[in-house]
Amino acid sequence: MTDAPVRERIERIDRALALWRDPDSPWRRRLAEQHGGYSPQVIDLGVTRGLAHWTRDVLAALRARELAQPCRVPSTTAVWLAGSVPTATFAALLLPVLAGSEVRAKPASADAVTPSLLAGSLAEAGLPDAIEIAGGEQALRDVDCVVAYGRDETVELIRRRLPPHTIFVGYGHKLSVAAIGAHARPERAAGELALDLALWDGRGCLSPAYVLVQDAPAGRAEALAAALADALERCERELPRAKLDPAEEAGIREWRAAVALEPDGRLWMPESTAWTVALERRSSLPSPGALRFARVVPFGDLDELAERCLGLSPHLSCVGQSGFGERVAQLEAIAASAGASRVCPLGRMQLPPIDWNHDGLSPLRPMLRLTDVERDESRGRA
Amino acid sequence: MIRSAIERDVLTWIAEGVDSAADDERFNQLACALFAHQYEHGEAYRRLCDAVGRKPGNAAHWSEIPPAPAGAFKRARLAAFPPGRELRTFRSSGSSTGEPGELHLDTLALYDASLLATFDAWVCCGSRSLRFAVLAPSAAAAPHSSLSYMFDRAARVLGLGEPHFYADAEGWDPDAAIAGLGELDGPAVVAGTAFAFVHLIDALDARGVQLSLPPGTRVMETGGFKGRSRELTRQELHTGIARVLGVSTRRIVNQYGMCELASQFYEATLAAGEPTLAKRVPPWVRTRVVDPATLEDVPEGMPGVLVHYDLANTGSVLAIQTSDLGCAVDGGFEVLGRLRGAEERGCSIAADALLASR
Repeated sequence: MTDAPVRERIERIDRALALWRDPDSPWRRRLAEQHGGYSPQVIDLGVTRGLAHWTRDVLAALRARELAQPCRVPSTTAVWLAGSVPTATFAALLLPVLAGSEVRAKPASADAVTPSLLAGSLAEAGLPDAIEIAGGEQALRDVDCVVAYGRDETVELIRRRLPPHTIFVGYGHKLSVAAIGAHARPERAAGELALDLALWDGRGCLSPAYVLVQDAPAGRAEALAAALADALERCERELPRAKLDPAEEAGIREWRAAVALEPDGRLWMPESTAWTVALERRSSLPSPGALRFARVVPFGDLDELAERCLGLSPHLSCVGQSGFGERVAQLEAIAASAGASRVCPLGRMQLPPIDWNHDGLSPLRPMLRLTDVERDESRGRA
Repeated sequence: MIRSAIERDVLTWIAEGVDSAADDERFNQLACALFAHQYEHGEAYRRLCDAVGRKPGNAAHWSEIPPAPAGAFKRARLAAFPPGRELRTFRSSGSSTGEPGELHLDTLALYDASLLATFDAWVCCGSRSLRFAVLAPSAAAAPHSSLSYMFDRAARVLGLGEPHFYADAEGWDPDAAIAGLGELDGPAVVAGTAFAFVHLIDALDARGVQLSLPPGTRVMETGGFKGRSRELTRQELHTGIARVLGVSTRRIVNQYGMCELASQFYEATLAAGEPTLAKRVPPWVRTRVVDPATLEDVPEGMPGVLVHYDLANTGSVLAIQTSDLGCAVDGGFEVLGRLRGAEERGCSIAADALLASR
């Protein structure tokens, strides 16, 4: 593509995103009406804030950086989607479109709506054929690149079924943690954390599965847990959680029972299952929380925090942090050692930039066939 | 009210039989007294109750007694008596999570009384001339299986002659089972799990054999398949059993029970003379069908989670929330299936998957 079509493509993607960010966006309203997995308030805020910084300039800079050298862009990229988080689907589909590839999207079973609505908004913005929706097997046929999201087993299964020369990019299972240091103010950290838990109801791989709190001086973890309970209760009024499956409802009650049975476990919760805060002082991490079930686990010092994080490798995705003061660089090193691909302030865990190195991979380059060019400098000088 | 007094009253009620009045006042009085006892003497259960803010003083009706999720039996010793006094410990299969739950019993009096009363009423129908052929190990061969204990106890107390068990801890012997069933010369109870009957059907079909069991014979099947055999619908299973054993589907009774409960539930197929899906609830038990979001009762006929309140569970917890979906129907409840792990709607790692990978 020459510069003009590239600029035009970026303009149109930006125009489509603007349609979603618009305060009265009919696209966002349709998503809220049709999705079913989240309350309209969660979709409204999640999409508005999630796309806020995905601007033309950011898209242009990303493309220029990633396609700085000669390369072949796949003509068609199949994107095998997973989960139900709309903004994750946006990123998964828009990145190959930005690279210049046509996209064939296989929607996730939990979200058949977002891909087709995004395709519709791109069409309205002047990219009518950017995304084609396809069923399972058909999605993988005659493509030169496949990007797959899902369980590790699913991703591996898809990889094995592809011809050897098809480019494959896989994003498997991940989870994230919130890490709160000794300098955090409990009420402020709790408010930010509640937003990270409430957006997408804790279903995303960027949702904090654990809240690791430095318990120094002793009692801070409990104070944070109590403040988080207050914040989640407020959040439930503004950003209500969606109705869950019976199995999920029953699962939350089982998790609560498991915490209650621990001799030093503490729970904060309403009668409903809308949210739960569990304080758990275990030597090993409990099973990860989700569905607005916050598992608060105290730690003593950064060595212990590093041990906890390493225990989550290779599944660790994002570390949302607050209160580490001058030791924030140490926290970043701990996160990197544990394989995390993102460290961000609390309250922004669900708002990844479009140019984030998801799973440590460049956003566009893994989809491209890059060409390294070595010039004969001596001949050039002659 | 002390535990011995509660047990005496519950045993009296059980002795009155499954057709005694389901007196709610009588049930309420015993249930609240038993809750107070279990709250005081069961440390783990007390923690569960405290977590939801419920104590004997603020539970005036049996339906306000907090149920323990069945999964809690896998995580803690839910017993209302000190360790070391166990007469029996039953273990659940742990088929879904790999870890078994345990029911500790310091008396078998109530367990026996309840199982015999219900088995007699809905399977034997009062007959004492039934031989027992059991497609499961005996209690001696599987001492921690509540199912084997139930079959064994029912066979030895209610049956005629020495029962036959066509399985041991290692597996089952199809040739011995087929030969033994073929030699039956009088009415019998053929009892086993659903998957055992699938194996029996397959074994008979593989040999090209169809039996014709003596008139008066009845079949009792229980439990799900739990990935241990090919799965059949209930209708396919009953039709298959009827075909290979020569027993009418009107004489096949499904039982629903769980390791954590002393009492079991049966379809009154034999008593009613025709197949029914409704599980009968004995008077000393209550079953609620609740919305898991609110734990409020759902309207009759609507699906919800089954919660049982069993007065025969004196030594553990009387109120248990299952992982089974059901609906209330006239005369009892229907079981609709297990709560399946909800479809993964997010992209975060499933708890079990992560733990398995560590």
